Amino acid sequence: MWTLIAWLVGLGTFFLIAMLAVHVLFALLLIVPTWRICERAGYSGLLSLFHLLPVLGSFIVMAVLAFGDWPNGEGKAAAAAAVRP
Amino acid sequence: MMGFDLAALLGALGLGSAFALVGVVLASWMCWRIADKAGLPGWAGAGTILLTLTGIGSVVSLILLWVFAFMRWPRDGAPAAAGFAPAPGAAGPAPPPPSALPPPSPALADRRGWKLVGNGVALALEDGQASYLLTAEGSGAPRELVLADPSVGRPHARLLTAAGRLGLEDLGTAGGTFVDGARLLPAHGPRDITAVRALKFGNVVLALSRS
Repeated sequence: MWTLIAWLVGLGTFFLIAMLAVHVLFALLLIVPTWRICERAGYSGLLSLFHLLPVLGSFIVMAVLAFGDWPNGEGKAAAAAAVRP
Repeated sequence: MMGFDLAALLGALGLGSAFALVGVVLASWMCWRIADKAGLPGWAGAGTILLTLTGIGSVVSLILLWVFAFMRWPRDGAPAAAGFAPAPGAAGPAPPPPSALPPPSPALADRRGWKLVGNGVALALEDGQASYLLTAEGSGAPRELVLADPSVGRPHARLLTAAGRLGLEDLGTAGGTFVDGARLLPAHGPRDITAVRALKFGNVVLALSRS
């Protein structure tokens, strides 16, 4: 009986760690380019670490980039829209 | 009506699909704005997200994210965007002429000295409250700029430095003093030549620059 429980706990832990590793791997594929985008926009690259947060993380990063004022300045189209009366 | 539509949507697609739909629309909108801020057409950003709805999957969107991160953004080529110089060879509008530039901030005053170079001669002037005498024959006095040429007077002109500015005064010689091609007469008094590029003392032409 105890052997079965220990085996199940071990299997669960293994799958948990495997899922975590896969999640971090996929998050890294998003973190690297987003880190550069954030820095080019004028934000800290650390903002891209929100990708480690499942589901909501990517939306948080996108929301900051989409609705925040870029410290390093924005493109012509956005600037023109900002000064349009 | 709205409640009925939402209920129908949730019933037809399931709760998860409805959330996914809202997420895709929201992400497309935000990517539209991000691309727009980078100077790219907004539809390119939104299209990247909408691609995930097609059979291509999200791999292409991921590739496009990497491309977007490392490509040259049109925003970086805009001269007034952030004060960044455009990358060498980058296509973009021509920079404005120097006369259109605003004056330098007093907080960032240039405290470098000046140098006069030409005809195998290099004369250096330090910034500060000082007066230099330009002459063809030196007497060993401090702050004397010797320009050994028959057309240069003894002395020929006076150069004055004062807090990041440079002045020039002609002392009335036959060879004459010229500032960017224009004759400077003793009657003109000291003339601000901080922005001048070429000086001519007698027949000697010297290029003026910051050291």
